[in-house]
Amino acid sequence: MSKKEVLDNASLQRALTRITYEIIERNKGGQDLVLVGIKTRGEYLAHRIGNRLAQLEDISIPIMAIDVTNFRDDVTNHDSDNLGLNSEDKMNITDKNIVLIDDVLFTGRTIRAALDALIHVGRPKSISLAVLVDRGHRELPIRADFVGKNIPTAQAEHIKVFVKEIDGKDAVEIIN
Amino acid sequence: MQRHLILEDGTVFAGESFGAPATTFGEIVFHTAMTGYQEIITDPVYDNQIIVFATPIVGAAGIHAGAYESMKPTIRGMIVHDLAEVSVNRQRRMNLDRFLKQHNIPGLYHVDTRKLIRHLRETGSQKASIVDFADDHAKDQLVATVLTNKQVANTATVKPYANPGRGRHIVVIDFGLKHGILRMLDDYDANVSVMPYTTTVEEVLTLDPDGIVLSTGPGDPRVLPDSVLTLIRVLQTKAPMLGIGLGHELFALANDAELLPLSSEHHGMNHPIEEIVSRQMMYAMQGQGYAVDPESIDRNKLFVTHRDLVDGAIQGLRHRDYPAFSVQFFPDGAPGPLDATTIFADFFDTVEDYVEHVQS
Repeated sequence: MSKKEVLDNASLQRALTRITYEIIERNKGGQDLVLVGIKTRGEYLAHRIGNRLAQLEDISIPIMAIDVTNFRDDVTNHDSDNLGLNSEDKMNITDKNIVLIDDVLFTGRTIRAALDALIHVGRPKSISLAVLVDRGHRELPIRADFVGKNIPTAQAEHIKVFVKEIDGKDAVEIIN
Repeated sequence: MQRHLILEDGTVFAGESFGAPATTFGEIVFHTAMTGYQEIITDPVYDNQIIVFATPIVGAAGIHAGAYESMKPTIRGMIVHDLAEVSVNRQRRMNLDRFLKQHNIPGLYHVDTRKLIRHLRETGSQKASIVDFADDHAKDQLVATVLTNKQVANTATVKPYANPGRGRHIVVIDFGLKHGILRMLDDYDANVSVMPYTTTVEEVLTLDPDGIVLSTGPGDPRVLPDSVLTLIRVLQTKAPMLGIGLGHELFALANDAELLPLSSEHHGMNHPIEEIVSRQMMYAMQGQGYAVDPESIDRNKLFVTHRDLVDGAIQGLRHRDYPAFSVQFFPDGAPGPLDATTIFADFFDTVEDYVEHVQS
């Protein structure tokens, strides 16, 4: 097994900063903006981006996290109560501009599950997608609006995103 | 030989002559950088200025072919506390004294630079002159002298030229261009076209740029023709833009912000600069006499990305609607810490993103 660091701490911070600026660019004024992180690491990245937006805009943008396990296409029981959203969060989705945030975009199946989950509980005005890493190999017609870094990979390779909150460091590694 | 520095307010400082024995006039500023005198005296940003160095000894590193920031220095004088005598030999073919003689620039050493800088801190920048005798005639001459405000025209290229590479096509609008910027663009293998600041929107767009850089300049941006602001206003909607130094000030003016003269100018590399979004701190060389007035910023157009932690002066701006941003400080690290070179990484990431966005 070999591993290679493709994003170090500083480049990861810069990638999140650039995504933050691009979110501002494409959502005038940050009105009706809601950040939704996909558990586990997407949630932490959503908070990082949310903190950055708060530094710049003096407005607090709602941040929530969803657990899409029950909406995966290899699971049959679609139970919306297990999303990890409370009733207030659910109300917050309708008519909002949602930025869905995940660490790695690969086949697109997780994102599809997240889209289904969100639409199951409300009717957002729009949903866009921000990912830290786009590694290619899509199996569904899904693409990200905000990409931290495009990392072309082989199918067999594994991409591991580390976040300080739970992994003790910020980095992205390719593992063979 | 003893010569003199006279200030517009009548103050006189005596010193020993080095460099050329020329009589010159210029705006006097003091620089607190402790390294990088060669880059500073060849930086077009200091066109027409007399620079006082706060660092006690200058000259010990000689002059090196790889450390020029322009081909011809256009400063009007150099004031130091002490000058390091360095020999010239086969390895080190040039020293500071010879270099200034070649370019007809006078220098003074054994000047009480601590007293001079303390004085300048109180009075702010002013006209000054380096002369043989500090008599009434010389003082009258200085008072009567009107310093040029055509510094951009004096230093910027009049003809377009290319610095070819195999990467993204970057158009640099030259308002006075320090070599450090070209060096940084070279690090990304950019294919660079340098255009005079009198260029037109059509000329730039014909080149099909992937990104646009507004260069560092010297002087007051407000004396440039309005056509420059129109140029920026249009180009910022067409491709990612990075403004540096004067380029930053012009980017601000083009988006309806205003400038204020700084009561204490920034010339050095010891001010911590905060990147607001990440609350991270960096150091970079600064050379600014003006700052963007925070009150004047239209929050629907621009937001502040960087600020100086010593006096709060705005150090970076970004457009709300376009991938256009600017920094007041010099992120090319020539001279200075390399912390801020990531600004170029940000710029090229933005360029890549833009190119992919346009293609898809």
